[in-house]
Amino acid sequence: MDPVIYVLDTFVFVGIFALLSLSLNLEYGLTGLGNFGKVAFFMAGAYTWTLLSRAGVPFLGCLAGAALMAGVLGGLVTFPALRLREDYLAIVTLSFGEIMRLIVKAEKGLAGGVWGITVPSAFAGLAATPRLVAGANLLAVCATVALVFAFLQLLAHSPYGRVLRGIREDDVAAAAVGKNVVLYKAQVLVLGSAIAGVAGGLFAQYVRFIDPYMFLPTVTFFVWIMLIVGGPGNNWGALLGALVVELMNRGTRIAKDYLQLAVDPNNMQFIMFGLLIILILFYRPEGLLREGPVKTAARGKVSRWLSSS
Amino acid sequence: MINFPQLVVNSFVTGGLYLLAGTGLTLTYGLSRFPNFAYAEFVTLGAFTGYLFLRHPGQPVVPALLAAFVAAGLLSVAAHALVFRPLQARNAGLIHLMIASIGLGYVIRHAIGAIWGWSALSYQTLWQTYEVLTARLSALWLWLIVTAFLAGVALHLLLTRSRIGKAIRATAANPELARVTGIDTDRVTLLTWFLGAALAGTAGVFRAADTRLYPMLGWEILLPIFAATVLGGIGNFYGLIAAALILGLAENFGVVLLSTIGLSTEYRMAIAFLVLILVLVLRPKGLAR
Repeated sequence: MDPVIYVLDTFVFVGIFALLSLSLNLEYGLTGLGNFGKVAFFMAGAYTWTLLSRAGVPFLGCLAGAALMAGVLGGLVTFPALRLREDYLAIVTLSFGEIMRLIVKAEKGLAGGVWGITVPSAFAGLAATPRLVAGANLLAVCATVALVFAFLQLLAHSPYGRVLRGIREDDVAAAAVGKNVVLYKAQVLVLGSAIAGVAGGLFAQYVRFIDPYMFLPTVTFFVWIMLIVGGPGNNWGALLGALVVELMNRGTRIAKDYLQLAVDPNNMQFIMFGLLIILILFYRPEGLLREGPVKTAARGKVSRWLSSS
Repeated sequence: MINFPQLVVNSFVTGGLYLLAGTGLTLTYGLSRFPNFAYAEFVTLGAFTGYLFLRHPGQPVVPALLAAFVAAGLLSVAAHALVFRPLQARNAGLIHLMIASIGLGYVIRHAIGAIWGWSALSYQTLWQTYEVLTARLSALWLWLIVTAFLAGVALHLLLTRSRIGKAIRATAANPELARVTGIDTDRVTLLTWFLGAALAGTAGVFRAADTRLYPMLGWEILLPIFAATVLGGIGNFYGLIAAALILGLAENFGVVLLSTIGLSTEYRMAIAFLVLILVLVLRPKGLAR
């Protein structure tokens, strides 16, 4: 494989996973919601994008459709579990991911079922030079990550973000000061799922062919590893985690070709990532980057006032 | 033509499987207060342990069941002692425990994959079949139903009549209070983790004998088991008995319904999910309360 394309490809995947870990950070890192079915919304976005773009809808239309579909599903599916303890949400989202995959597999007329479906390229004009296609994809992914990141960063440091942190720390207390906890949680899950849907759309567009076996629960697990490694509650951590884990993933895939292991390298990789997450939860559960203080507009004023006196 | 006796038999088979596999999940969930997703792998390990004893035709099933019972139980105890208890001692939250259990699940599943490979295997035992009314019933299913029934009765007696059973119930209801009254809650927890997973291991043998054997075996029935656990009320063993039977009936009659309305029978797994969602909307505490 062309090394330039390999590097571009790596960063396209880092970007797509960064979107997923950012969205999980909004849900879990800020609000404390355990979404164990991230892949379901990623998949909903990917298939919506595919069907729309096959119907001739332009790039931004597909993107909006993917976000909308995933967001609506996110709201519908998680709502029944939101009033209950957090483990119910985990079970419902996990199950929903598997059901989504089942539906796509069983409804062969919808999107090719198990045989998968090809996705038209949004950059068909550049098809003659593969490096340009990869570059254009990277640009699109980076622009999306930058927008989403800026938005989530503003959100996290806004009064809205402070309510989310309040819900995470103590949702009874948040309710006691008059916040509609279930509504906030529902909004967060709709937004988080929509971001995952966008990631799915960009993924489908980039890989040009999707089938249900690309959307195993493993994807969700990897996003969780990224966020926990990077640092829940910190958007920079979500980015860093996506980078570190995807590079590790690539590294072990390259190492496979050079190492002689007694164990099949594919099994070895999963055993390694499984142990990694357990060790991190043991020894550094706050991740690489800790959650920083909330940056409010008044923080500068207060620190100036404190230092002047 | 719908064969009702057959559907009832099938429902009991499915329900029995969910009961055996779900007992440990609901008991440890109630006791340790987090859903252990690595539970699927205890079922799988039981199935593969059984394979060591059912490789050739004509081998008896009891040693396989016992070996699966012990192997899955020991794995569960090890998982609790090495991963979950230390994490809980470090005040890990509910979500951290769930993530750790998923991570552990991958470790065990792929270790099994490394040992036995990923291509499907099958037991070589031939099961005699009987005809009851219009239903066909294999000896395997009889074994399953009888085992599930006996396990249910034994657990009922254990929980209500023995000191250790009382200790289990006390620990589940209020761990601090149990500790101050002199119950060794650590030992009670370990015993529950052993017993529950051990039953799940035997469920693995039955599942593998009925279908095929590969590392995803446990994962494939994990969701219905979770549905049964929630439906019965988490930690509620008697609720689980009813829930397992209800899910068994819902799945087997549901499949017939699916094919009559022209939907793929692959949606069988979705039935459990649908039941789960309905329970969460209508009766979140489960059937019993």
